[in-house]
Amino acid sequence: MQHRMLALAIATCCAALALPARADEAALKAEVDALRAEVAALKAEVQQIHAAQSAPAPVAQAKPVSQQPIAVTDAAAPNPGRSMSDAATANTTSLWGYGQIDYNHPTARAADARADLTRAVIGFDHGFNDTTRVYGELEWEHAIASASDAGESEVEQLFIEHALAPNYGVRAGLMLVPIGLLNEHHEPTQFYGVERNFVEQAIIPSTWREGGVAGYGNTDSGFQWDIGLVTSPNLGKWDPTSPDGRESPLGAIHQEMQLAKAHDLSLWARLNWLGVPGLNVGGAMFAGKIGQDTSKQFEGDANFPADNSRLLLGEAHVRWQSGPWDFTALYTRGTISDTQDLNLGFLGQPTPVPKAFWGGYAQAAWKALAWNQSSVVLFLRYEAFNTGAAYATQPQGLGTPPLPTQRVLTAGINYYLNPNVVFKFDYQDFRYDDPVLDYGNRFDLGIGFQF
Amino acid sequence: MQARWLLPVGIGATVVVQVAHAAQYMSVEQAQRAAFASATRFEPIAATIDAAALGVADSWKPLIWRVWNGNATAGWFFEDAVIGKSELITYSLALDASGKVTKLEILDYRESHGGEVRLAAWRNQFRDKTSADPVALDRDIRNISGATLSCRHLTQGVHRLLQLYSHVLAAKP
Amino acid sequence: MTKTTATRLAAFVLAAASATALAAPTPASLGEAIFRDTSLSSSGRMACSTCHDPARAHAQDNDLSVQLGGADMATPGFRAVPSLRYMNPNMPFFFANDGTPTGGFTRDGGANDLIAQAHTPILAAHEMDNIDAAGFAARLGAAAYADDFRALFGADVFANPDLALLVAEYALSEYQRTDAEFHPFDSKFDLFLQRKIMLSPQELRGLALFNRKDKGNCAACHPSTSVGGQPPVFTDYTYDNLGVPRNPQIPANADADYFDMGLCGPFRMDLAARTDLCGQFKVPTLRNVATRHVFFHNGYFHDLKTAIEFYVQRDTNPSRWYPFDADGRVRKFDDIPSLLARNVNTSEAPYDRKPGQAPALSDAEIDDVVAFLKTLTDGYDPITDSADPARSARGVKSVDKL
Repeated sequence: MQHRMLALAIATCCAALALPARADEAALKAEVDALRAEVAALKAEVQQIHAAQSAPAPVAQAKPVSQQPIAVTDAAAPNPGRSMSDAATANTTSLWGYGQIDYNHPTARAADARADLTRAVIGFDHGFNDTTRVYGELEWEHAIASASDAGESEVEQLFIEHALAPNYGVRAGLMLVPIGLLNEHHEPTQFYGVERNFVEQAIIPSTWREGGVAGYGNTDSGFQWDIGLVTSPNLGKWDPTSPDGRESPLGAIHQEMQLAKAHDLSLWARLNWLGVPGLNVGGAMFAGKIGQDTSKQFEGDANFPADNSRLLLGEAHVRWQSGPWDFTALYTRGTISDTQDLNLGFLGQPTPVPKAFWGGYAQAAWKALAWNQSSVVLFLRYEAFNTGAAYATQPQGLGTPPLPTQRVLTAGINYYLNPNVVFKFDYQDFRYDDPVLDYGNRFDLGIGFQF
Repeated sequence: MQARWLLPVGIGATVVVQVAHAAQYMSVEQAQRAAFASATRFEPIAATIDAAALGVADSWKPLIWRVWNGNATAGWFFEDAVIGKSELITYSLALDASGKVTKLEILDYRESHGGEVRLAAWRNQFRDKTSADPVALDRDIRNISGATLSCRHLTQGVHRLLQLYSHVLAAKP
Repeated sequence: MTKTTATRLAAFVLAAASATALAAPTPASLGEAIFRDTSLSSSGRMACSTCHDPARAHAQDNDLSVQLGGADMATPGFRAVPSLRYMNPNMPFFFANDGTPTGGFTRDGGANDLIAQAHTPILAAHEMDNIDAAGFAARLGAAAYADDFRALFGADVFANPDLALLVAEYALSEYQRTDAEFHPFDSKFDLFLQRKIMLSPQELRGLALFNRKDKGNCAACHPSTSVGGQPPVFTDYTYDNLGVPRNPQIPANADADYFDMGLCGPFRMDLAARTDLCGQFKVPTLRNVATRHVFFHNGYFHDLKTAIEFYVQRDTNPSRWYPFDADGRVRKFDDIPSLLARNVNTSEAPYDRKPGQAPALSDAEIDDVVAFLKTLTDGYDPITDSADPARSARGVKSVDKL
């Protein structure tokens, strides 16, 4: 940031020097004297403003807004002037980041209480010129990543973006799947509750990304669209002996571009309408073959009967933010085809491949208090989801019955110290305990930030 | 590619053709004309930078024009920049002679994240706002889901320009 | 292996590779000759194939718990003969991250590869009884294919007995590694996994019971699936202590102080201090298990159904399996010193039960599991719905399916 500020300061200086050339020469000559007089007056006024700024900040009661001094926030940036904007863009690099620290305390099993540095993320972007940029995001999960530790170190996104016009462009690389409300905007300050909602962890995998090419854009009428051709999950990874596929069917088979099998590709598409301020209504789909020709990946006879299996995941949502209110509803459902033969070989195993899974939630949040940059938001969220809503039938009644639908009610508080630092508390009530997946009533504490 | 892909790909192609009629950013001059069609003169003022203030990291120097229509003040015009997510958003704000917002334009937006602040429907929320209004996100300005940072920072930017107007410019003869 | 020996072996491997191109004898073809050559034993009556009969899925063809060998073909061994099939996915012995002993060849993992695996049977006094490399090299030098051996590995190969033994072991390993006979993957279950045929209702039930954690839980150590479409080999290459009853048919067991404790000795001694591992033996593949004459490391059981009954009734009905002490109490786990009896696996299903409780599998369910296990026999013929390992495809060489 230091370098960035220095660069901007220099740019501002240049802008100041360049300024006279921008105005009409004759007018300038005529106005020089007037300007000098105004400069003197403005200096006095600026000093006045500065004095007001340095005055003790109101704490207990907010002054009427019109009486507040000019708010110079972190959003403030010295204006380099239009003539310098290109120079300010070319070859810039910026860093950002976010972090999340959680404490989960199951009420029935206090011994399982756990404190976790869930994730620490460093992101960067670099502009090669006005139209081409690279974005990257590096993540560490669970504090320590090594061969003998539980943590993971991963690249969450890494893609090149090329703007063809101000309102549309193309991307290529490892990108977040534009589905749901959380996947692309998963910083802890962006969601209510210590943990991300279950629907957008179990049905839409957490931080789901795939590699490929995509187009994006928006229209003057308020539509935001995305379309992409990307790597598919790999059904050949399915492990019927592990609970992973029950926790999140797609989370168990997505590849995160880790030497990803790329025989089969998928298509994603998303359309949102943002034409009324505060409203986001839209949906997305992700569809493609996921068998990855697994049967032909080893010598000998075909041994994987789901080469032609297909995934279709659809999602629809509406969000309405107005004043202190923030209402959200989201529903998503996925299907996997051609699982019958595959599951036949998995008879009796704890985790066969589901042919359908779904989830939905409704959430209401209310900003109860706001002062200076701080605010307190209360929220209530009701979720229902099922990672094994249906399984392909099997002979002899040896098939797997659908899993029961899990329902979770979460109530909690997000306390924003400022918009980028949040402390969270919530209580989650599960309809039934699931020790396999670590589901059970609990309260959670969390810290999150982003910059 | 199999037949079942043709439909979604076709839809995608249609969308691309639709938006090939690309949006273009306005220059400052174009934005000035768009805001004040009948103005006779744009008088740059107060933009002479106090060099002593340059070393201050959060120094803030918007460009300001007083807009004349003949001998009467038609309004005020500002060019300023805020940070979106990680890059600067350059924008202009036009006030009428009484200090009410008439137009907010995005002049340059350098990243795709949060670019939805360009939507006219969102920017129109600022019309008729004055320094007496809160001009605060989630109060009288609604958010765009997924573009929160850009919305918040632009709203803060407009707010401070309105305050600058009321504290410094409104009293000018 | 000394460095010079290794260097020379490498040279021979290169020489062998070039020889292969001329369709001359290959290490694998010589390995096959050695495998079947009884003249390489002191008795003149024992070859590898004597105990590892290709027609019996490369395992024994009699009911003895341990085989007889030596010069008189009457010296008893110590452990039951393992099948030599499906060894390719195995790996050298190591401890996994969680401390689980994994990999290694032979019952106690004392050999790290197929080359080392051949060493003991060739030399041991109760087997081929060559005693040392010199004895073996002399017999090998007199074999009908000795000239081929010289052509491939050098004219003076028999002058260095250690080298002759090593290259013979290498030839054996190449034969086992590359010959499809050792890993045909042509069982009924393989055809089922390829969806070419369907299992019978009873076999399907047996598969489900085999997998279910609340039933047989067999797949916990004998995985019936493998990720990525590779055919399963029904072992996870780990070790376990099942508390198999002491087998009086092993002459060595006549000595009450003698215990065969696998990982911690008496044959491999490098882990002797790890008393927590005492009694653990390698989990074998269950492919061809229905063709076996004896079961477990000590060959105590002679019948597949009884072996499965032991798994599920060991803890619900221990008096059926173990002798009574003088005070009339059942002495469970009688084949391990009593101080080490705690090493026996009693936590996982189906062992996690008490006397009087119902076994994890009923009699009918055990029949289902047996029916399923029979689908793992190589050489399946869909016409007659029968399987015979002797029928496994021959002549399809150099297919390394894994």
